[in-house]
Amino acid sequence: MELETIRLKDCDQNFIKDVIEAGGKKAHLCFQCGTCTAGCPTVYAMDYTPRQIMRMVNLGMKEQVLKSGTIWLCASCFTCQTRCPRGVEITSVMGALKSIAIKEGIEVADKKGPVFHNSFIEVAMDHGRLSEPILLLKFVGRTEGSIPGAVKSLIKEASLGMELAKRGKMAFLPHKIRKPKQLKIICENIRKMEEEVQ
Amino acid sequence: MKFAYYPGCSLESTAKEYDMSTREVFKALDTELLELDDWNCCGSSAASSTDYLLSLALPARNLAISENENLDVMAPCPECYLKLWKAYKSVKTDPEMLDEVNKTLEGTGLKLRGSVDVKHPVYVLVNDFGLEKLKEKVVKPLEELKVIPYYGCVMLKPPRTDRLDSAENPTGLDRIITTVGAAVVPFDSKVKCCGGALMLTNREVMLKLTHELLKEAKDAGADCIITACPLCHMALDARQIDVEMAYNEKIDMPVLYFTQLVGLALGIAPRKLGLNKNFVSAEKLLKSLEM
Repeated sequence: MELETIRLKDCDQNFIKDVIEAGGKKAHLCFQCGTCTAGCPTVYAMDYTPRQIMRMVNLGMKEQVLKSGTIWLCASCFTCQTRCPRGVEITSVMGALKSIAIKEGIEVADKKGPVFHNSFIEVAMDHGRLSEPILLLKFVGRTEGSIPGAVKSLIKEASLGMELAKRGKMAFLPHKIRKPKQLKIICENIRKMEEEVQ
Repeated sequence: MKFAYYPGCSLESTAKEYDMSTREVFKALDTELLELDDWNCCGSSAASSTDYLLSLALPARNLAISENENLDVMAPCPECYLKLWKAYKSVKTDPEMLDEVNKTLEGTGLKLRGSVDVKHPVYVLVNDFGLEKLKEKVVKPLEELKVIPYYGCVMLKPPRTDRLDSAENPTGLDRIITTVGAAVVPFDSKVKCCGGALMLTNREVMLKLTHELLKEAKDAGADCIITACPLCHMALDARQIDVEMAYNEKIDMPVLYFTQLVGLALGIAPRKLGLNKNFVSAEKLLKSLEM
C-alpha cells in the first residue's frame, strides 16, 4: 500500500480556529476513534469518512475538506455528535464547514448542497418564512444547467406539488411576516459584527 | 397550562395535519396554545450551514417575542425545536453569547433575556401534562393497533442537557402509544435517520434510508408508524410512493403524526385531525378501529 504524504507547510494552520469560530465547537479534541464514522447513516456515499474529515480539519487541509462531497452528504442527524466520546460537536463542525465553503464560494463537483442551503436562507429572509414553491424554483433554476433539464425536474416535482395542493398542504403564495424589516436589520447587524472581527 | 405556540413553516404547509391535530389534542387537554405573534422561520439547518450567528439570531427573535408574553415556547417540528432550544441554551449558559445575540437584535426593539424555555409537545404530554392524566381522557382505547414509534433524529439528538429521554433508546412515544391503549411494535431503527434532509440534494441516498425504515416497519407487521417530525413524515408518507417505485415493492404503510393517534383515542373526529390529508390512506386503519 502506498501512503500519501501530507505536507504540513502546505496546510492552513488557522483553519481549525476558523472552524471552531464558525460553530464547530471542540473540533480540536478529536482523538480519531472513528465512532462518528461507525454511526454515520450516509457514510457509504462519502468520499472521505467523518473521521477523516476531522483529522483533515485538524491538520489544516482546508482545500480538500471544503471541496469534499462529504460535508454536503451530512444530513445533520447528530448521531456522530451524540456518540462522540470527546464531546466534539461533529455535526456542528460539518455545519461550520458548509458555511465556510459557501462564504468562500468554493466550487464543488455537485453544487446542489450549497445551492439548497443558500436558496433556503434567501427565501426565509425575504419573506420571514419558508415558501416551498419559491425555494424549489430557485433551487432548480440554479442547479439545472439547461432549460429542458429544469423543466424536467420541475415536472417531476410538480406531481408531488399537485398532490400536496389537493390536500391543502401547499401554499402557492408565500406566508409573509408583518415585520420583515426586523430581519433585514438583524442581517445588517451580523454583517457589521463579522466585519469587525476580520 | 399555557404555551407560546411556534408552528414553524412546515406546519403552515406540508404538515398542515400536524398543526391541526396538535391544536385539537391540546384543546381537548385544556392546554392553551397561543400562537407566537409574527414568528419567523427558525433558519433550520440552512442557517447553521451558512452563518453561525444567524442560526442563533433567527430563533432569538422568536424567543424575545415569547418573553414579552412570558410564556414557554412549544415547537412541534423537531428541527425548529432544536434551533430554538439551542439559541435558548447558548444565551442561558453564556453571558457573552447573550450580549452577542442581543447585538444582532439591536434596532429591532427586541431584547433577549433567556428567560423562557423551549419544549416539544411529546415531552409536554409525557412530563408536563402527564400520562396518567392523559389516560383518564382516553375515550376510545386503540386496542389491537400495532404501532411503531419512530423518533427520527433531532427531537432528542444532540442530547439536551435537561435529559428528557434517552437519545439512543428513547421511550416517550412508546409510553404515549401504550397510554392510548395500542401496542408498541419493537423497532430497531427508532432513532435512525430517514435521510429527509437530503430529499432535494441527494434523492438516491434519501430513498435508500427511507426504504430501510419502511421495509423494517413492514416486516415487523405494524399497522402504522407514528412520527413527530414533518420532514420524516414527508419522507415516509409523501415519498413512500417514490420508494415503492425505486425498489419495486408494495409497502402501503400508513404514517401518522403522534398527535393524530392521540387525537383518535381522545375521540376527536378523524377529519379534524387532518387524517384525510395523509398520502398513504389511513382508511383501513380507521375501519379496524370502527371509526
